[in-house]
Amino acid sequence: MATPESGVKPTTVVDSRGTMCPGPITDLFRAYRNANIGDIIELWATDPAAKSDSEAWAKRSGNEIVAVIDEKDHIRIQVRILKKGRQ
Amino acid sequence: MDIIVIGGGSGGTLSANLLAKQLSNEIRGGQVRVHLISASQHHIFQPGYLHVAFAGQDPAEIVREERSLVRPDVQLIEEAAERIDLRSQAVTLVSGKRLQYDYLIVATGSVPSPEAIPRLSDASLNFHTGPDESRKIWDTIQEFDRGHVVVGIAGVPHKCPPSPNEAAFLADDYFRKRGIRDKVKLTFLTPYPRAYPAEPMSRVVEPRFKERGIEVVTFFNVESVDPARREIYSLEGDSVSYDLLIVVPPHRGSDVVIRSGIGDADGWIPTDKNTMRIVGHENAYAVGDATNIPVSKTGVTAHLQAITATSNIVSAIQRRRELYKYNGRIHCPFEMGSGKAAFVIGSYDTPVKEVHPTRIRYMMKKSFAKFYWRTLSGNWDWIFNIYFGKTHMVETA
Repeated sequence: MATPESGVKPTTVVDSRGTMCPGPITDLFRAYRNANIGDIIELWATDPAAKSDSEAWAKRSGNEIVAVIDEKDHIRIQVRILKKGRQ
Repeated sequence: MDIIVIGGGSGGTLSANLLAKQLSNEIRGGQVRVHLISASQHHIFQPGYLHVAFAGQDPAEIVREERSLVRPDVQLIEEAAERIDLRSQAVTLVSGKRLQYDYLIVATGSVPSPEAIPRLSDASLNFHTGPDESRKIWDTIQEFDRGHVVVGIAGVPHKCPPSPNEAAFLADDYFRKRGIRDKVKLTFLTPYPRAYPAEPMSRVVEPRFKERGIEVVTFFNVESVDPARREIYSLEGDSVSYDLLIVVPPHRGSDVVIRSGIGDADGWIPTDKNTMRIVGHENAYAVGDATNIPVSKTGVTAHLQAITATSNIVSAIQRRRELYKYNGRIHCPFEMGSGKAAFVIGSYDTPVKEVHPTRIRYMMKKSFAKFYWRTLSGNWDWIFNIYFGKTHMVETA
């Protein structure tokens, strides 16, 4: 289920609209590699699998899904980077 | 009129041959010249790396002289391109020679980059950087008697999406044949949520991995490796120890694309996913691994995109007013051990479907490996057309 607009400003926007699995999650991983702790990555996707894949990854990796926002023709998934590497 | 194709891999070689074939009258009449710039004198059948690495195939069997694969009416330039200037429509070679073009196809491929991950080059063998590196895997596994073999994906994107899984299946086959599988633990690392990124094919892979005792570690985006401790670490904070590490490095765009500033941050060329035109340039195209389009980086996709790009150039030169549009068709052979293979099939509008491995599909894969060199001539596309069906649409421009 989508959450309402978070009011959080993303550090990075990743536009994966038009790509199918594994496009969006691949783009999210590439952004994660370049992100810093505290950054907000906002993933734009049209592939429905992007939501469940991002949520599963965030849960496993200790990062936080801030919001999943439904737009007319895509979703915006905001991820706060809380953990990266061996801290 | 000059058409320049840069890159002597699958997409570039086929593009040059298709252009020369379809514009043979114009070439004979002196109105058109087709130039192919290839940095290497050798052409490698890259899917063969897997069999060099895990089945001991002779590396010489997957390499041919580029010159032997190019039509005589293509002007082959065996030299690397230094810079591509899309605005002034020119390509500069490393020798400093500058060539103007009327039409351009960039097919400069992708570059495996183990150096992108700290200590990966020291720690891991791989079968993506060349025949000699692939051979090192074969030499190493023959000496390997017991321990933990870790296979998988060290970074994305990489070419040939099934190849890391294929490596796990073939490694399993190899150790079984030697009768030491019970002494070898086999683990597959992936950044994805499942054993294969596309869920329908993962449903095919996962039970087979389980049956063979190949353990899968998901959500493992490799951060670094410590070769002294024999440990590999993920961005997610996990670690896995190994005795032998064989992971596929992340890839980036080619040096000439990066130097020329015509790619994105990772060197992939922004390309229209249907027409194969480089975004913002009517007469310049990109095909194969070099593009940023959201399909697998494989020889088959490069082949199909080369057909689209060259058809659009020929149509423009012959004033046919036809616009060809690639439909995103992918068709990746996927070997799953025990002499069986499947295919990963999809397109922009058709999600990847579940395809199970069979002996016949394995024979098809093996037959294609032998047939590959002929497909580069452009003379056998009627077989592709029958087999693949529609791979592009044609609109009146």
